[in-house]
Amino acid sequence: MTQTIEDNARYDPVDGRAPLILGGHDFKSLTEAVARPLESKTPPGWWVVFGISLSLLTVFGISIGWLFWEGTGIWGLNNPVGWGFAIVNFVFWVGIGHAGTLISAILFLFRQKWRTSINRSAEAMTIFAVMCALTFPGIHIGRPWVAYWMFPLPNQMGTWPNFRSPLLWDVFAVSVYGGVSFLFWYVGMIPDLATIRDRAPTKLRRMIYGLFALGWRGSMRHWQHYEKMYLLLAAMATPLVLSVHSIVSMDFAVSQLPGWHTTIFPPYFVAGAVFSGFAMVMTLMLITRSVFQMKHIVTTRHLDNMSKIMLVTGSIVGYAYAIEFFMAWFSGNPYERFVFLNRALGPYAWAYWIMVTCNVVSPQLFWFRKCRTSVPILFVLSIVVNIGMWFERYVIVVTSLHRDFLPSSWGYYVPSFWDISTLIGSFGLFFTMFCLFVRFLPTVATAEVKTVLPEADPHFPGDERVIERSDLAPDGGIS
Amino acid sequence: MPDLNQAGLTITPGTWLYRLPWIGLGIGLAGMAGSAVLAQGHLQEFLHAWLVAFLFFLSIALGGLFFVLVLFATKAGWGVSIRRLAENAMATLPIFALLFLPIAWGAGQLFSWWEGPGEDALLALKEPYLNAGFFLARAAAYFIVWSAIALWFASRSARQDDSGQHSITRRLQAASGPCLILYAFTVTFASIDWIMALDPHWYSTMFGVYFFSGCLVGIFAFLVLVMGILQEAGYVGQVIHKGHYHNLGMLLYAFMVFWAYIAFSQYFLIWYANIPEETIWYLHRMHGTWSNLSLILAVGHFGVPFFFLMSRVIKEKPRLLMAGAAWMLLMHLADIYWLVMPNVYAHGPHFGILDVAALAAVGGVFMGAFGWALRRRALIPVKDPRLPESLQLDHA
Repeated sequence: MTQTIEDNARYDPVDGRAPLILGGHDFKSLTEAVARPLESKTPPGWWVVFGISLSLLTVFGISIGWLFWEGTGIWGLNNPVGWGFAIVNFVFWVGIGHAGTLISAILFLFRQKWRTSINRSAEAMTIFAVMCALTFPGIHIGRPWVAYWMFPLPNQMGTWPNFRSPLLWDVFAVSVYGGVSFLFWYVGMIPDLATIRDRAPTKLRRMIYGLFALGWRGSMRHWQHYEKMYLLLAAMATPLVLSVHSIVSMDFAVSQLPGWHTTIFPPYFVAGAVFSGFAMVMTLMLITRSVFQMKHIVTTRHLDNMSKIMLVTGSIVGYAYAIEFFMAWFSGNPYERFVFLNRALGPYAWAYWIMVTCNVVSPQLFWFRKCRTSVPILFVLSIVVNIGMWFERYVIVVTSLHRDFLPSSWGYYVPSFWDISTLIGSFGLFFTMFCLFVRFLPTVATAEVKTVLPEADPHFPGDERVIERSDLAPDGGIS
Repeated sequence: MPDLNQAGLTITPGTWLYRLPWIGLGIGLAGMAGSAVLAQGHLQEFLHAWLVAFLFFLSIALGGLFFVLVLFATKAGWGVSIRRLAENAMATLPIFALLFLPIAWGAGQLFSWWEGPGEDALLALKEPYLNAGFFLARAAAYFIVWSAIALWFASRSARQDDSGQHSITRRLQAASGPCLILYAFTVTFASIDWIMALDPHWYSTMFGVYFFSGCLVGIFAFLVLVMGILQEAGYVGQVIHKGHYHNLGMLLYAFMVFWAYIAFSQYFLIWYANIPEETIWYLHRMHGTWSNLSLILAVGHFGVPFFFLMSRVIKEKPRLLMAGAAWMLLMHLADIYWLVMPNVYAHGPHFGILDVAALAAVGGVFMGAFGWALRRRALIPVKDPRLPESLQLDHA
């Protein structure tokens, strides 16, 4: 079989863009490849990963149970660091979700067709990350049985949340974000659910998938409405990419605390969120594509592109670190200057330099194509970046608090055992959900991927842009 | 694919566009003469007016530089046929080193720290950065970096018009990434030096991003206008079509919203924390009739275009999009004015003949240089390997 080099969208004359889907797939084989993990016998590897995830989830449950029983005293919080792991984890998890929304909404509006192979799992990741994130404010309020008071519900006592508090804005921002992300994910999945329904060997399976496929028949009219709705949802989700983490950043930036109050926080948090989110997508996709044999759908080109986005966002984060540092000096304000010097040279210098190394230095490797396409390097770097981004929030929260305006109250925050177990446990929730997702739902937006196959091009097959691999010069240009 | 020989890709001698360098120079010289006369006794006002005009046109050129770098960095195909126009805008950057001379000469009238910190303890702390020598050295560095990048990219791109070599595209792609990093830091510090340092006590980490967002609003609005004017004059008829207008319109829209996001975030965080050393900058802009201009910016730079430019119908009709772009340029000018002028007119905007003269002077020279670049080379990169993709831009 001759391999055709065809971007489906367009063939690039300079670099000979690699095709989006490899392995000579046609519509049928693609469906088969995506449906296989759902329809075949559960692979043993899945049980192993699921088992580990479930154990971690149990750790999460125990940690939260003990917290409810004993109170937040089991955490390392004290004066002057009254905000510790809980908020760090919250910001970390909300940030993870951002890559999913960026891929599904912004890359869609930018007509980046490579998104089709990864958007489904990235969106799923968003939803699970939001679930993890929402746990932390929920369990930190002290009286979790009245957690619904976070919402402004009319009541006869006339008590309301403080509308001027960014923590309340978080409730709105994150719940809207979770809701829209879920809708986006679900709407995008309807055609694929219908495909799974139609292939279902048992009646029960057909009924369950049929219920969620909402009677999709794939008629012209269905598609027309679907495409329009998808575009509108993308347009509505785009501001959410920016707004959610901007509002999260305001938890800190509206204060008067040096290290927290700085105007660049909103875009800087957004860039960091996308950065960490892409790192997480990378980690997950590298595992998924190898466990479920999807290397021809999530190709080296996808990894290459994701690495470039990590390079860009990582560099924006580096820019923000630099500007913050300069402006702390330029302000002439002794407290500003102290906080930043204390970050880099004080007792938490180790955390600061972990952050800088992981977030600014390590992504610079992505300048090199070799690093962008090597699976082992990508896997390590994607984890390194997430460690760095977790430490970024740790640095921001803890170093700004631990030496406040009164030297006699300075302290050093150390997380307790339960702080750490809750953090690790939250990964259990995340990976358990993700395991269930890859086992029971189509991990790739099959209907969308089909549109980037060569056959989907209206000009196929008489199109002169289809170029045989033998026509390519070794350097990628056309001979 | 359109016949590139028939498409009107070079400026015809004898037309007004061909004479644009001289027209621009004429306007520029007239503006300078006018400024020289009007500056008598109003030196400080003149220098601020000049700074506004300088920053306004500089922001368009810097926006062009960014757009070209990004097109290469992303290996974008769609934008190739409009890239040359952005290249021509950025090719004017060396001229801005000359246009900066009045600012360097009259910096003492603009910057209170120019003669030294005096009794001001805060300025004494900032003196290692805010001093005349370092200020001028930095300015020189910015112009060297910008001019070098702009001229190198423009000349390679022009060379490709003859040879069509793919290696040129590859080299520019490879260089674009590091150049963007240089760009980010030079533009940030230039905005700190030339705008933020007017009020040397004040500081905001967002400021560089704010100025940058204005640069992009400026270039996209400018490109829409230039494209429209060229097409109405009978050029590039077959090579730029509604897909390009739609895309540029979307970018203009996106960065208009981005500007609003940055502007709001900066204002909101300062307003909320309410620290006097920060709020003072906004207080100046709410004092007297400045509050009207602040309101006009909120409504005119965001509210109105948010709805006007939202519809695809409008973005695909060149005349309507041009009207939107002209409005955005006007608002961008108002934004620069709002950033600079409270430094000299405390009670409200005072737009007068001095400002018009400065705008004519800088704008004339800018237009002249742009027109000169325009007629020196083809209006599109005729042998760019990705040109076919741009010509076939059929938007979904």
